[in-house]
Amino acid sequence: MRVLVLYAHPVETSFGASLHKQVLTSLAAAGHEIDDCDLYVEDFDPRLTREERIGYHDIETNCAPVAAYVDRLQAADALVIVTPVWNFGYPAILKGFFDRVFLPGVSFKMKDGKASPCLHNIKKLAVVTTYGGTRLRAFLVGDPPRKIATRVLRAVIKPVAPVAYHALYDMNRRTDAECTTFLGKVASAMEKF
Amino acid sequence: MRALVVYCHPCPESFNAGVLETAVTTLEAAGHEVRLRDLYKEDFAPAMSAEERRGYHDIDDNVKPVQKYVDDICWCEMIVFVYPTWWFGLPAMLKGWFDRVWVPHVTFTVPTATQGMKPNMQHIKRIAVVTTCGATWWVSKLIGEPGRKTIMRGMRALCAPVCKTLYIAHYKMDTSTDQTRARYLAKVKKRLSAF
Repeated sequence: MRVLVLYAHPVETSFGASLHKQVLTSLAAAGHEIDDCDLYVEDFDPRLTREERIGYHDIETNCAPVAAYVDRLQAADALVIVTPVWNFGYPAILKGFFDRVFLPGVSFKMKDGKASPCLHNIKKLAVVTTYGGTRLRAFLVGDPPRKIATRVLRAVIKPVAPVAYHALYDMNRRTDAECTTFLGKVASAMEKF
Repeated sequence: MRALVVYCHPCPESFNAGVLETAVTTLEAAGHEVRLRDLYKEDFAPAMSAEERRGYHDIDDNVKPVQKYVDDICWCEMIVFVYPTWWFGLPAMLKGWFDRVWVPHVTFTVPTATQGMKPNMQHIKRIAVVTTCGATWWVSKLIGEPGRKTIMRGMRALCAPVCKTLYIAHYKMDTSTDQTRARYLAKVKKRLSAF
């Protein structure tokens, strides 16, 4: 499968970077073709501009400002997102990818004011993430990033496509051993992806 | 009350700009001292940089790149957010404001082995969200309103324990009419002046 890996962490020595490397290694070992999209390295601008907003619903031209990203998203058979959770949401750079690239005509079609999803080339989705908050706190907050993955993105990709959510919570208090265990879990999930 | 209005929309001619005007006028008429942050107008950079992330946990230093924004949230007793809901969440611009400005030590104390996270923004006693959604009310509920929860549960947990909240949304924006928009503005005015 051709897998688009969307990665969003600015620091190359972070645990997020280790997860990213592991995901790439394990997916490659499983024989997948990988398109690694490191949003920070590519200096992706997450701000939807005024011009983009004005032309948002014009499916002939709306892709132009982010054409390369649209092509990569549409060329992929699967999507793997590697990101930290900050303030119970995705980092701005990743949220901006959805705002700017998941356009009408790309991920959904508008008809009479109703949106119908159409990102059906994506047949598998996995999210690999870390939270500062505990699992309990995330649950009490309603776990917004999990909902984005398991409800919003699930609704947009191919119907009944498998969605996996791998999360390590309470990062400020995790030991090295616990982080290593999680890395191992991610590795085996990606080898079977 | 000292009210901070955080506004996020790229188009000055948008309906959201009208909502902002109504919100600010209403708050001022109710006797609040209003400070406005227009994130697009100020060209706020929402992506936290590598340098900021490395210094994220350094007391005092972590405030420096965003000092004036941190001053805002330390000054206010009420925050009113005006933004469009995109992909059931906050626009990246607004999400980045949270990522970069709500730094540890100022807004919360980082959990340790013996102690959980402790909130530090008890002076914020009111949070209002005034937003527009493309989706219907039903679909928003079914998805679970991630954007609403990020602010009303996630960020609110850092504020006063009895922080009052107000959420006013115009759903189905893509099929809105002059009537629905006028009704919504009237609602914003009524609910915010009583807030």
